[in-house]
Amino acid sequence: MLGLWIILILACLVGAAAWAGKHRTVKAIDVAGLNFLTPIVRLCYGEEPEKQLKDIGRFIVVPVIAILLFLGAWHVVSEKIQTKSGKLPNPRDTLHAAKAINDFHYRENDKQAAFNLNGEERAQELERVEQRLEELKPLEAEVNKNVAAAKEAAKERLATKVAPLQEELDTLTAKFKDAKKQRDDELASLASQAAVGDEDAKNAFVGKVRAYRQLASDERDRLRDLRTEINDMRAEKDPEEQRALAEQTAIAEERQYLGKMQDQLTDSNRYEKVDEENAKLQEARETLYAADSATILKAATKVAQTEDRIDRIEESGYAKPATLPYQVKRSVLCVFVGFLIGSAIAIPLGVLCGLSKTFMAAMTPFIAIFKPVSPIVWLPIALIVASAFIPDPDKHWFTQWLWELPLLGEYKINPAFIASAVTVALCSLWATMVNTAFGVAAVDKDHINVARVLRLGFWSRLFKIVLPSALPLAFAGLRISLGVGWMVLIAAELLSSSEGIGKYIWDQFNNGASDSFANMVFVVFVVGIIGLVLDRMMIVFQRLVSFDGAPTAI
Amino acid sequence: MPAACSRPVRSLRLPVCCLIALCALVSNSPAIAQDKNLLDLEKFELKFGFIKLTDCAPIVIAKEKGFFEEEGLQVEVIAQPNWKTLLDNVISGELDGAHMLSGQPIAATIGFGTKAHVITAYTMDLNGNGITVSNTIWERMQENDPDLLASQPQHPISADSLKPVVEELLDEGEKLQMGMVFPVSTHNYELRYWLAASGIHPGMYTKSDIGGRTDADVELSVTPPPMMPATLEAGNIQGYCVGEPWNQQAVAKGIGVPVTTNYDVWKNNPEKVFGVTKQWADENPQTHLAVIKALIMAGQWLDETDDNGKLVNREEAARILSRSDYVGADFDVIRNSMTGFFYFQQTDKREMPDFNVFFKHDCTYPWYSDGVWFLTQMRRWGQITEPKPDAWYHETAKKVYQPEIYLEAARMLVDEGLLDEDKVPWDTDGYKQPTDEFIDGITYDGKKPLEYLKAHQIGNKD
Repeated sequence: MLGLWIILILACLVGAAAWAGKHRTVKAIDVAGLNFLTPIVRLCYGEEPEKQLKDIGRFIVVPVIAILLFLGAWHVVSEKIQTKSGKLPNPRDTLHAAKAINDFHYRENDKQAAFNLNGEERAQELERVEQRLEELKPLEAEVNKNVAAAKEAAKERLATKVAPLQEELDTLTAKFKDAKKQRDDELASLASQAAVGDEDAKNAFVGKVRAYRQLASDERDRLRDLRTEINDMRAEKDPEEQRALAEQTAIAEERQYLGKMQDQLTDSNRYEKVDEENAKLQEARETLYAADSATILKAATKVAQTEDRIDRIEESGYAKPATLPYQVKRSVLCVFVGFLIGSAIAIPLGVLCGLSKTFMAAMTPFIAIFKPVSPIVWLPIALIVASAFIPDPDKHWFTQWLWELPLLGEYKINPAFIASAVTVALCSLWATMVNTAFGVAAVDKDHINVARVLRLGFWSRLFKIVLPSALPLAFAGLRISLGVGWMVLIAAELLSSSEGIGKYIWDQFNNGASDSFANMVFVVFVVGIIGLVLDRMMIVFQRLVSFDGAPTAI
Repeated sequence: MPAACSRPVRSLRLPVCCLIALCALVSNSPAIAQDKNLLDLEKFELKFGFIKLTDCAPIVIAKEKGFFEEEGLQVEVIAQPNWKTLLDNVISGELDGAHMLSGQPIAATIGFGTKAHVITAYTMDLNGNGITVSNTIWERMQENDPDLLASQPQHPISADSLKPVVEELLDEGEKLQMGMVFPVSTHNYELRYWLAASGIHPGMYTKSDIGGRTDADVELSVTPPPMMPATLEAGNIQGYCVGEPWNQQAVAKGIGVPVTTNYDVWKNNPEKVFGVTKQWADENPQTHLAVIKALIMAGQWLDETDDNGKLVNREEAARILSRSDYVGADFDVIRNSMTGFFYFQQTDKREMPDFNVFFKHDCTYPWYSDGVWFLTQMRRWGQITEPKPDAWYHETAKKVYQPEIYLEAARMLVDEGLLDEDKVPWDTDGYKQPTDEFIDGITYDGKKPLEYLKAHQIGNKD
């Protein structure tokens, strides 16, 4: 599916490039900040093949090799790093994690869809689910057997590994016990001698006691080291067993999913429930028509109740848990909301700062003090304020209105979301503000003089001269702001437990399961790639508004 | 194959319902004719919060096994990062209800911490916590008491062997640091109980010291449950008291040793409750009833046993809980305690069939005496700063614990034929029998809170 899309998009791009011609294509690529593609285009047009091939080597082949090297190094290193929470996941584990996350997402979608299926489709789906359940049965028995066998084998391996150490521990424990007893006896006999001796003898006795105490302590340390070694061996996870368990988990999870699907397609299905209620309604109606004055109120209430219930069931949905794709979308939405709030504050203030030295002087202390404040400080404050404004999100008109909106509604914007967005705004607005001010202040003197000669009014001067010249710098600021905002957001979500990538990371950290580590590593790439896309997007805007092509840093 | 034929009969519910309907037709008895969906729900899309602990099981099971749906509810179950956020979210209305520490509704109602009238009509479970110490502390305890070196030391392990360690540290000018999950958590009180039973002072709360460290020999601090193993590993604390699976996790990772469970500190002690705000309960009485009905069904499902007394549904429950959007720990780790086993060390696996109790022993009934016990602990450790008369304890417990709602829900389930009449304590006055099954053998009688306070050596006695 994804492959098809990529091919389709590529085909469109190639078509567009062929139609637009070389120069326009190269220009478009430059604006998009995808300069590594330029040599390919030029090569296609047969321009200096040698130079282009060299460029391709440098800008495409080298990065690809670097990535491969990185993957190799990662693979090697991950085998060596053993933490108490498990091995550092290697690229393959990470890919597996990605697949599991994806499966979870699609399975939840299936359950949601199953809730709304009816008629022939429902019967087909049910048949598929039941068939798969049948198929799973022998598989499940097999993996259970494998796990039992793997556990047994792991236990045996462990026992053979631990046995010599355990034996050493036992013999040493016995030996040290004897030695201690001997020393105690010796000390006891020496004590009677020292008691009658002079001070020197007594001091010598102290020396003896000290030496023996040291010995005892050394022996204890030796035993402790041994025990620690044995415990570490026991705590080590057996890879074979882990693999068997992972297989078992995969099957068991699929079974869980199918079981729930079956339920969603039968008893819990919306149409099934509606049918059931309709039958009851029919019955209630019959009672109503047969009712006398004593029972009619009750019968009428029942009819009304049942009708209400049918309405509710018809509009109800399956309560789906948040999956990573949903959380990613919500995070991106949140960063843009924060970014917009921040820009709405920063740009006007920045323009004012740039226009008036006095205003700049007035703002400087605030910029200087608030700029370095960390998101961790802003967030709790923002949370308290946001919750104060929206005490009961279920009833508050603002959240109600937001939840009714067509596209935004499904993201359930709540105080935690607003607090995260405000935190993003507060942390990200500074770069935009300072850059805008700088851009406005640095407008070419000649342009201003021309405006003066033409006797332009304040507003025309602002919109015709000042803002257009300040735009490239302002956009450079916006680009930095969005980058900062994205970084801040993950931390803010993590703390406010606003549904999003940050919360996902935190939940995984809290889970501490054997696959959590791999999930977190996968999310590192998700966050990085989204950050990259956001940055590229801002570069495009920045290039579109600048005359001379702003520099593209990575 | 037509759809109707391919529909399997998954459980006994359907035939039972048919049977009841049939009986109703034959006998025309109004009591049995009461059918399942008669509740007039004010709200049917609900959000419940939980903390990643195995004792959130009733809520998760009620969702996954469809008990909520049978009551016409669509429930979203959302993990919360810590107990404070969870409570704040319930109070703010962000959540409709949540898996709460027993102390939370009480503390919120009397105004220790965030003030709000929170009530409970359902106790989620008994037992389920453990006290874990780091490997180093365990070794030092073993040095003090060589009996602990055995591969299966004698239980219960008291804090006696910990006392010399604490004293040595105090001599060095340091205090042992231990973690618990919330100031009014069962864990805080249990850890304090365990320490104080061996003469170790865990510190008092005062008006100015809301951290509870005045006169402390051991300093206790708050860490969210899922963070416990990581915090222990990082060395910020040397021990903790927390619910499952975070003790088993310490064993699985080899970073610590559970020394005792709260089953030994107080046998069959109440643990979590299902809490909602009073305002929510008043506005949504029928919905509340429906929720309690579903939770009772879930509790019953969790504690279902076969003829040999083996818990039959726990493996499945452990599998569900191990999903990453629920508790998320490894299935193997969760399964231990859920199926009635507990690893105290890698080599020390014991059977603990009552480690988690979700239904038997009238567990789900909201007992006033449980509320009174938590109030006595709040007073004992100074969270309640003023002495109070006996009557105040009973009044406060009755403000929070709402057995009427529980009984009403249970009555409906009995009428629907889903619950046995004899599984509910219909005629109780809400106080459990006095018990002395504590680690220090002191008798607790819920009717006499002040007498109970006087019986302890450490802490406020009035």
